[in-house]
Amino acid sequence: MSQRKRAANTQSSQNKGVRTQRWEAVLGDDEDDPTFTQPSTSQVQKGLDRLTPAQVDLKTAEVVQFIFVKDQKKFPIRRADIVKHVVKEYRNIYPEIIKRVGRVFETVFGLKLVEIDSKNHVYILINKLEQLEGESVNMNPSNPKTGLLFVILSIVFMKGGVVKESMVWNTLKKLRVDQGERHEIFGDVKKLLTDEFVRQRYLEYVRIPHTEPLEFEFRWGQRADMEVSKVKLLEFIGQLHEQDPQSWTQQYRDATAPPAAPAVVTSANTSASVSQR
Amino acid sequence: MLATLTLAGNVEVKLGQICSNKKKTKRKQQNGKTTKILKEGRKPKPERIEEGGLPTNQPTTQNTKTPVSKMKRANRGGDESGTGTHRQNGVSGGKGGARGAVAERGDAATGGDDDEAGCSPADMQDEDNDPARRREIRSKYRDLINSVQQNREDMLSPTNNKLTDVLEEANKLFAEVRQAREAALDAQLLVLATDLGKEKASQLHAEGSAFDPAAFAEHLLSFMGLNRLEEEDEDVEGGASGGYLPQDAWQRVANRTQCCFRTAPSFHYMMGSFLVELPPPRQRVERQRKVPGKEAKRIMPTQLKRMEESHQEATEKEVERILGYLRSYFFDDPTSPISYYEFVIDPTSFSRSVENIFHTSFLVRDGLAKMYLDNHKLPCIAPVEEGEVEAGGATNRQQCVISISPKSWKELIEAFDITEPLIQAPSTQHTE
Repeated sequence: MSQRKRAANTQSSQNKGVRTQRWEAVLGDDEDDPTFTQPSTSQVQKGLDRLTPAQVDLKTAEVVQFIFVKDQKKFPIRRADIVKHVVKEYRNIYPEIIKRVGRVFETVFGLKLVEIDSKNHVYILINKLEQLEGESVNMNPSNPKTGLLFVILSIVFMKGGVVKESMVWNTLKKLRVDQGERHEIFGDVKKLLTDEFVRQRYLEYVRIPHTEPLEFEFRWGQRADMEVSKVKLLEFIGQLHEQDPQSWTQQYRDATAPPAAPAVVTSANTSASVSQR
Repeated sequence: MLATLTLAGNVEVKLGQICSNKKKTKRKQQNGKTTKILKEGRKPKPERIEEGGLPTNQPTTQNTKTPVSKMKRANRGGDESGTGTHRQNGVSGGKGGARGAVAERGDAATGGDDDEAGCSPADMQDEDNDPARRREIRSKYRDLINSVQQNREDMLSPTNNKLTDVLEEANKLFAEVRQAREAALDAQLLVLATDLGKEKASQLHAEGSAFDPAAFAEHLLSFMGLNRLEEEDEDVEGGASGGYLPQDAWQRVANRTQCCFRTAPSFHYMMGSFLVELPPPRQRVERQRKVPGKEAKRIMPTQLKRMEESHQEATEKEVERILGYLRSYFFDDPTSPISYYEFVIDPTSFSRSVENIFHTSFLVRDGLAKMYLDNHKLPCIAPVEEGEVEAGGATNRQQCVISISPKSWKELIEAFDITEPLIQAPSTQHTE
């Protein structure tokens, strides 16, 4: 698939002079997305009329594959990248394409394509289905990083949603994970927490104002908000402490509160919808 | 807590007033003066008394330098003492608890207290302007600010009231503050204190049980299968429990908690990916290297084989030939022993004699011939009949070393009267 994409790229760069000039005239410079404005529905309709259904389906399939590969590392996928590398000259029907892509993910794969940042137009893929405890371990052995991430998310959640960096490090130290030393499984732990997890949107690493010297705090990231089941998290913590999860009333309330509706790309809305969070 | 929280709101008020004091007019000053102005009123300003009815025995805070006119002086005084007065406005207007004491004092003073009746304006001006005093105040403020920053964790602890102590210290200092610079430091301290106050408030848990990360860590360690050793040295870094954490500790946690994540599975090809590009260059390099090697090798063995063959064949042939002679001689006359020296020595050539000895030794080694001493203690040689002695038999094996020199060769020829060699020279040539 990567080969096909590369071939497609070279083809398009040869054709660039011919085809994209036309679109550039209509939509402005297409270099890096900043001026990619969402085409209106009438424009979309006109664009669709010019193309055969097969072409649109092909484009949709390409976007689906692109998103799958981009999602491997769990870094959010930018709309700019999708447009630049895959959609290209079909950008005038982008809303329709992305709508269909969302539908494919939901109906075929059971995944949700969510726009977590409606300003910068960035997507993530999450699972629609819940994982049953214990079943998927054989099929899908998990990464120990998940364990570390879970511990940090638990600390933040149980402490009300915001936790100072120092508290996280102190607790991790008790678990033999030290930010100063290279961990045999996780390597550079500080980089893992403040860079990788933050880029994956599992955590947010925010500076506390007015502190001297500089201090930071951890919060849940947008991906964590969507992916992590707080109820299950609380259940596990309850098991560990041998306490009823409801004994932490505040956290239990947080966990069972109805979640804010995310901007899921479905056939019911276009990707132009503003996030309701 | 409430005090500090209201303080937070008023910090901006204070700062705003300090910044805009230059623009304040006397009128504004006067508006706020009724119960709030502590240090206003200048003796040489009868207009003020007329307007506001302020008691004249208030200590002045101004630093008037060259009064041009009464109004102007009042203005300038207003400007320069504005810091003090406006701050007082802000202070007593907004502050609830902590600074209330100061405001109250001020209020009491405005209410006609005679405490500071006897101070002259000149004295007050000097005191306000005293750079040493101001430096002292500023330094104390900076100390307070540093202590708050350094001991942040300490102050956050709910077990003590250090934050309140700091605020009270600041209160006391503030009473002597006259100018914008010190006031700005005071404001900075207040910002820090209110931040801390906010954090302390967030630490309070209204309901439900508290969550202790340390206990959480301990439970996790147990879950991970920590093998707690019962040794004295449980003092591992960070105060963690001693013991050996198994390799799969984090994997266990991950397996158990995986179900809490609704992660999309990662895409990967089932049979792995197929890269076409790299292999060919490598093969080419290897082939090039191999080719010369093989040819070179091929040349060597053929040559060597031929040489070895020639040598081996020659020796073997000779040995067999000699065996043939030995047998035939023995067959001719089985009873009479063959003298060894007569057998091997060739009277015509010393080197041939040596060769004969050499080849004969092979026969003896292989057990095809035997040597023995006869009655006269002279060596004799006889072939071994098949089946008599095993070739590889370890018993009765003896070795001896025979040496011969040209001189002894000649002596042997004479002694044994050897005229012709019993072993004929071979027809083929061989190197001597």
